[in-house]
Amino acid sequence: MKAVKALVRLWPIHLIVLVTSIVAQLIGVRAIPIGIGTILLLPLLFVFVFTLLLNPHIIKPIGKIVSTRRVAAASPLIIIAIMPFIAKFGTTIGPSIEEVIQAGPALLLQELGNLGTILLAFPVAIWVFRMGRESIGAVHSIAREPNIAIIADRYGLRSPEGTGVMGVYVMGTLFGTFVFAIIASLFATTGVFSIEALAMACGVGSGSMMAACSGALAAAVPEATDSITALAGASNLLTYATGMYVSLFIALPLVERMYLRIRPNDPDNPRVETREEPVR
Amino acid sequence: MTTNESVEDFVPTSNDRKLPLGPTLLDLAVVTVISIPLQLIATDLTLGGVVAGLAALYVLCVLGLLVTKYAPFYLPSVAWISLVGIVLTLPYMPWFDWFNGLVSGIDFLALAVPPLAYAGLAISKLEIDVMRRSGWKILIVAILVFTGTYVGSAAIAEFMLWVTS
Repeated sequence: MKAVKALVRLWPIHLIVLVTSIVAQLIGVRAIPIGIGTILLLPLLFVFVFTLLLNPHIIKPIGKIVSTRRVAAASPLIIIAIMPFIAKFGTTIGPSIEEVIQAGPALLLQELGNLGTILLAFPVAIWVFRMGRESIGAVHSIAREPNIAIIADRYGLRSPEGTGVMGVYVMGTLFGTFVFAIIASLFATTGVFSIEALAMACGVGSGSMMAACSGALAAAVPEATDSITALAGASNLLTYATGMYVSLFIALPLVERMYLRIRPNDPDNPRVETREEPVR
Repeated sequence: MTTNESVEDFVPTSNDRKLPLGPTLLDLAVVTVISIPLQLIATDLTLGGVVAGLAALYVLCVLGLLVTKYAPFYLPSVAWISLVGIVLTLPYMPWFDWFNGLVSGIDFLALAVPPLAYAGLAISKLEIDVMRRSGWKILIVAILVFTGTYVGSAAIAEFMLWVTS
């Protein structure tokens, strides 16, 4: 009964989602050719922009129509809404299981590619932006929920490392789908990597980023849709299992060590003897 | 007033084992119904085909949620739902043709639209504040983080595919 009441109370939220989703779906996939390739804009990007513009925290006057209390209730609905999408991905892996198994070694090892976060972002954070220890939290992973838990546990979220991980988390929530849609469509249309490799790289452990990424690939190479979703889905599932360990046992110690070497005199550094012990 | 008062409260926790099943199934049904017009726009399926396909996915989600609740060890519900989907669509299953026929026509990209719609609405004041405080440097670092993991993974995958083929 309580559940039905909650549903009735939330009808404006569901109605907004229904209407904006239909409009976004009617717009469909739009291609913007730029010099080096094509950027594909997907319905899921359009709908995100629409609902951001209807969010009372962003556009103040909307609060008169949709209360901030009501939109707070939209948060748990994200994970529920993504479940049918994840189920559909599972059903594309099953029929292609032989292809997925054949790609097994590539699938397993590409998980280490998640360390690429450090390779590209750490030098810029340290030497270009002169950032302090927040760079450790910021670059050790793509900062999704499990990674925040790791940083919270080791450094606390009010620490510089916590500031870094929360910053990337929020930027990922706001812009992650756009970034992935853009890089994936650029790579798919320039042909540097094979579509299979690009599909495997889509599984980063975030449902919406994988959706944007594999969606852009599928829109670029429609005839390969089945193997794109199967490989991206399998890689994403693998990341749920391995992602936390890669970031806890490899990425974080690595970036911590690199930081201590580059900035040995940062007063925020933990004392050497307590380095392995989290300060509580 | 929002539910997020401080950074600590804001930390997204994965307590989906404690998700109350009843309300979750109801919300899942609402989301599924919202998907009906989207699938009609995105695919060539008839209304009957769309409803049957979405109903099949609904059943997979329910099974996955049940496993999440009663499995002897913890995996996030999305992982279990995915595994249930894989197992039930293995080509060796007696129901393969029937079940695969139900779900194969459903457009995966259209299924990703409602979650992003809720996500846009759910952005809270705290997230806006964090974004303002972090500034454009963190934005650039974040873009490099995402690009790095993508290119890193794609390069290793490409190399391994080349080695094994």
